[in-house]
Amino acid sequence: MDHLTKLENKSIYIIREAYYQFKNIALLWSVGKDSTTLLWLCRKAFLGRIPFPIIHIDTSYKFPEMYRFRDERVKEWNLNLLIGRNEEKLNEGMGPGQGSKLDCCNELKTNALKLVIKKYQLKAILLGIRRDEHGIRAKERYFSPRDSQFKWDYENQPAELWDQYQSTVEEEEHFRIHPILHFTELDVWSYVKREGLPIVPLYFSKNGKRFRSIGCAPCCSPIDSNAQTIDEIVEEIRTTKTSERSGRAQDKENIYTMQKLRALGYM
Amino acid sequence: MKSFTKKAKKALIIGLDGVPHSLLNQYMEDGMLPNLKKILSQGFILQPMNASIPDVSSVSWTSFATGVNPGEHGIYGFMDLAPERYSLYFPNSRDVQAPTFWEILGKTSHKSSTLCQKYLKKIDRPYRSIVVNLPHTYPACPIYGILVSGFVAIDLKKAVYPEAAYTYLKSINYSIDVDAERMKESKTEFLKELFGCFEIRKKAIFHFFDNEEWDLFLACITETDRLHHFFFDASMDKTHPDHTSFTHFYTKLDEWIRDLYERFVRRYSDRGWLMILSDHGFAPIKKEVYINTFLEKNGFLALKQEGQFYEKIDEQTKAFTLDPCRIYIHDQSSYPKGKVGRAERGKILEDVKKALTGLKGEDGNGIIHQIFQKEEIYRGPFLNLAPDLVCLPEDGYDLKGSLEKKEVFGHNIFTGMHTWHDAFCMLPESVHISKKPMIEEMADHLLKYFTS
Repeated sequence: MDHLTKLENKSIYIIREAYYQFKNIALLWSVGKDSTTLLWLCRKAFLGRIPFPIIHIDTSYKFPEMYRFRDERVKEWNLNLLIGRNEEKLNEGMGPGQGSKLDCCNELKTNALKLVIKKYQLKAILLGIRRDEHGIRAKERYFSPRDSQFKWDYENQPAELWDQYQSTVEEEEHFRIHPILHFTELDVWSYVKREGLPIVPLYFSKNGKRFRSIGCAPCCSPIDSNAQTIDEIVEEIRTTKTSERSGRAQDKENIYTMQKLRALGYM
Repeated sequence: MKSFTKKAKKALIIGLDGVPHSLLNQYMEDGMLPNLKKILSQGFILQPMNASIPDVSSVSWTSFATGVNPGEHGIYGFMDLAPERYSLYFPNSRDVQAPTFWEILGKTSHKSSTLCQKYLKKIDRPYRSIVVNLPHTYPACPIYGILVSGFVAIDLKKAVYPEAAYTYLKSINYSIDVDAERMKESKTEFLKELFGCFEIRKKAIFHFFDNEEWDLFLACITETDRLHHFFFDASMDKTHPDHTSFTHFYTKLDEWIRDLYERFVRRYSDRGWLMILSDHGFAPIKKEVYINTFLEKNGFLALKQEGQFYEKIDEQTKAFTLDPCRIYIHDQSSYPKGKVGRAERGKILEDVKKALTGLKGEDGNGIIHQIFQKEEIYRGPFLNLAPDLVCLPEDGYDLKGSLEKKEVFGHNIFTGMHTWHDAFCMLPESVHISKKPMIEEMADHLLKYFTS
């Protein structure tokens, strides 16, 4: 079996296991390349018809290309799309220009997701995070329990050895499931190419710039790049030394530092 | 025999974050700190001390640990601005440019400093240190001994060296810091957590003290600073509903100092050397003063709507402030949007100084006690990172660098503010110290002890 097929098999196994265990689950789809890959794997796992809803957390600040891509796929793949928005905060004018980016992320992303989980009483969420993405994500498990406040006690997690996953859950908790944890950025692009997956055009170079990671428009900056095809992207990633999220504004440890300083009246 | 005494040198340092000299004196006079008073009478002196400028823990404790001023160690605050993108970053232990005294004593650092050069050759063997909860030591760099970082430390694993010490701390559920966010939800819960934090810290400190080999032991208590930020108005006011909680903490602190000192004396009889100190004082807050808003109203600062924090700085900006009151000239050689040329610089500095001197409180008195130009107070290879001006306020006026305030004066949930002039140090009588020492002088006394 080739490398990508092995990765795919493992992911599909986890997706099916998750659905079998929880039933009341949903996929969190940011419309980016990783969660679109996950969405594709879910389609494969259930032979084209995904038996659970797809959540898109809409901060209202996403790129127009992302909304267009989302709506096209929903139609084409017949998805049951749930849109999560923190209407209360949006009405109050919360946005990247108002207050700090930390507050904005917290209200429009984290709290919007909390609202959806509560509203639909979801027991588990499938996420397209990858182990190589970010320092702290290296500690992630495939099945990762969170409490109702989203606290992740990463030093107290079930071991996952020899493909034994602890996938049962206590009351008041939900699980985060990461079926593509073992993919690298390079794997994702190779897989996108092999499967002929559609992808948001922002990833391809325009006027010497492209986005390597996409989120809300005001908080993402493009990188210098001439990669206009997936092959060129693969080649670029193979040789790059800068990190994937270097164009993103927030870094986890900085966020915590900022929180702690602000609690004591700084900033 | 002489070599035996030399080998037996042991030093204990107790750091009490944010404990003012005036408060200690008053509490001792009132009989509330009987144990500390007793220790003091056994051959020690207690003196007021000046903190670093600015008087925040990261700068002050780094000045203490390195024995040099910010111009040499490179730390000027909890956050700094990266000029090219106007983005904030948070300097950590890796940004400290001078070796700490435990690195000098342990002979583990490749860095150098004036203090290091003075003592390095005189240190006959590496001395083993245990350092617990000293602020601005995160992430924990490898040392000869054990290091448990203090505020701001995020991930316990990265806060502890070596791994074995981490395993122990994890097993007792050690907590790096009380969650100050708690205060917004419940005062009672916050206090409960604060006392809990102190208990677990004591446990860890006693464990390392009793079970490890060491020549230098440094334990820092930071709960005092948190208590003061939120409850300083209760410190002297006996009718305040939280007065009992406040003084209860000091009773516990006094008992802990006794216990630690007794263990120290028991183990090393009278061979040991003790120093107790704080990194800054505290005073009750009358008003918070938002210096950026003041600069904006006086035409020195112009902000755009877009962006967060300092990304909002517009081209017309001539000067801006970082917490607590570090003022930077927006000059064209350092900042992409800066328009202030070399010729204009001196005049703007003078104008800002003049404006700030005229800043008055409700009672009509000035708010700014002193303004320094960087060359007056900092010296060393990292002077280029220094703010152009730094202000010290009159007690009661807490200077802030917030960019989001509409008015110059305001209130928050805090009742206590840091002071520069009212830190303290307690040292053996035999140590010659100046009348009002600065915190960065203390490391010299310690190294003198180890090398004499």
